[in-house]
Amino acid sequence: MAFVGYASRPQLSASLVRFGLLPLRKEPVLNSRYRTIARITLGVSLAACARDAHTGAPAAVRVDDFGDTIPSTLHAQRIVSLSPVTTELLFALGAGGRVVGRTHWDSYPAEARVVPDVGDGMQPNIEAVLGARPDLVVLYASASNRSAARRLRQAGVATIAMHQDRADDFRRTARVLGLALGDSARGAALGDRVLAEIQAVRTSTTRADGPPAPRPSIFWHVWDAPVYTIGSSSYLDELVSAAGAVNIFGDRPESAPQVSLEEVVRRDPDFVLAGPTSAPKLLVNPAWRAVRAVREGRVLVMDTALVGRPGIRMGEAARWIRTRLDSAAAAMPRKANAVKR
Amino acid sequence: MRPRVWALLLTALVLSAIAAIALGSVSLSPAAVWDALRGRGAPDAEMIVRVLRLPRVVLGIVVGAGLGMSGAALQANLRNALAEPYLLGVSGGAAVGAVLATALSVTSPGVVPLAAFAGSVCAVVCVLAVARAARGPGDARVLVMAGVVVGAFANAAIMIVMANVPDQSVRSALWWMMGSLGDASWAGVRWTAGYVTVGGLLLLVYGREIEILALGDEPAAALGVDPVSATRRIFLISSLLAAVTVAAAGLVGFVGLVVPAIARSLGARTVRGTILASALAGASLVVGADLVARVARAPAELPLGAVTALVGVPFFLLRLRRLS
Repeated sequence: MAFVGYASRPQLSASLVRFGLLPLRKEPVLNSRYRTIARITLGVSLAACARDAHTGAPAAVRVDDFGDTIPSTLHAQRIVSLSPVTTELLFALGAGGRVVGRTHWDSYPAEARVVPDVGDGMQPNIEAVLGARPDLVVLYASASNRSAARRLRQAGVATIAMHQDRADDFRRTARVLGLALGDSARGAALGDRVLAEIQAVRTSTTRADGPPAPRPSIFWHVWDAPVYTIGSSSYLDELVSAAGAVNIFGDRPESAPQVSLEEVVRRDPDFVLAGPTSAPKLLVNPAWRAVRAVREGRVLVMDTALVGRPGIRMGEAARWIRTRLDSAAAAMPRKANAVKR
Repeated sequence: MRPRVWALLLTALVLSAIAAIALGSVSLSPAAVWDALRGRGAPDAEMIVRVLRLPRVVLGIVVGAGLGMSGAALQANLRNALAEPYLLGVSGGAAVGAVLATALSVTSPGVVPLAAFAGSVCAVVCVLAVARAARGPGDARVLVMAGVVVGAFANAAIMIVMANVPDQSVRSALWWMMGSLGDASWAGVRWTAGYVTVGGLLLLVYGREIEILALGDEPAAALGVDPVSATRRIFLISSLLAAVTVAAAGLVGFVGLVVPAIARSLGARTVRGTILASALAGASLVVGADLVARVARAPAELPLGAVTALVGVPFFLLRLRRLS
């Protein structure tokens, strides 16, 4: 194995992605891991959006998250979408008929499955993408996709690369795609609607008067070896908080921080949230049984197909997490009674 | 070796074990650690010390001892100071066996080491064949080169297996390939310790044969030792030791290279003395390296194999320079 075994963490992540091991396959929650891989975000478009929100002027967004300009006269007719989030967004914007290519992992809405599959969305196969003869390719803005965007532009195809970390990034993406489709008002409205849905769940978990509602603490299990969870720059942290719970690692600024199992034991969450493949393994893993919630069976299986994507169903996802937590708390009334940090 | 040196090795092991139990990403006072060890501490401290740290330290001792003994036996058997399970591709072959077993949903801590053993034996056969084809099994550098080639092939094989198996347990293999004691549990520790004890005892029993072999093939035959089967036996046992450590902790390189050299510099002259001293020094080295891996960038964890490589690679280069 000489020498080859010692890959650095970025290399490891890159290989995980290359082999389709990380995201969007079995446990789409891992989407949030992309951000740690090496994220390059340009504040330009963020600032543009912020101004936008105040003035209500729709066409202020001119660059994507790679800093590439988006032509204002685009009106894309043949679109390849290289992220499940943007695929469902395009369908929601009524442009499903213009999507001529999607990734292997795009499963929502059901009509999207009919669109030709061009393979992986991270470090995509450029030949396969160009084979769909697109006039616009929408990518996830990870550093590993930067060269793909450059090559596509060199081939004369417009690209839009956006990252979706926080719920507000979804709103930005919806605006930008609306612009690209020639219907910026619709894009802006859709983005606002999803954020309003999340806000509605948050309002329902916050009492207007009287003592604050009990907020159970949760640990979100993203990855096992090494242990990754969600931090405050993940949309999942927002969904958990809207659902009335407290993420025990919400004090970590990253979207997917690496943490130690010792620290999980010490912070003693009320519930552990995990994907359908990991949850049963946690329950029988001797090391994980050091965590009281695991020992006492308070592991909640997350519907990763629903909650794993920062997309149009985030409001539904927040509501679903809320219901899941409520029924679990009702079943175990001794716990779930205090904010721990 | 003088009794003083043995005492020194034992003290180093005890101190590194105490440090590894006392320190971690969550800081606990010495009193809290002591109470937790006796089962009278706060529940979370007790879990951290007894469920997370203790099995990990014991596994580190077992893995380090196994790697140290495997390296010492390989070096004596090949009369080559660069011989080491990782550099010879033995660990890589073991990893292929272990990954294949996991991909086929065999995860029992008793069976995975056997699959790893099968893989490591294949790797040894390949390495010796490659070295012989290059007409230099006696040349230290040719042998290491053959090991690197076989190791690269093993790496490719693992990548292909992982690309084809969507199961998450196999996906975690990438982290495991860089070496980690993070999976330590008492059930796994018991199996690993059992295999390492058997392998270690066998090496001590056959240690005399290695010494006789060092006299040359003819004198050995005259003393009743068949050089071919004796060499083969030692290869098998050292492969078993390396394979068991790979199944438990992934690829932890260079321990088998560094540790026998330390043993010899401390005055170990006989093969059996070197093997025993390497077991002790290897245990301290791995426990210490794992402590560094856990606390250096806490709460994030470094791969154990990266820490041992940081120590081992400069050492390897020094050795290589001396050979040239």
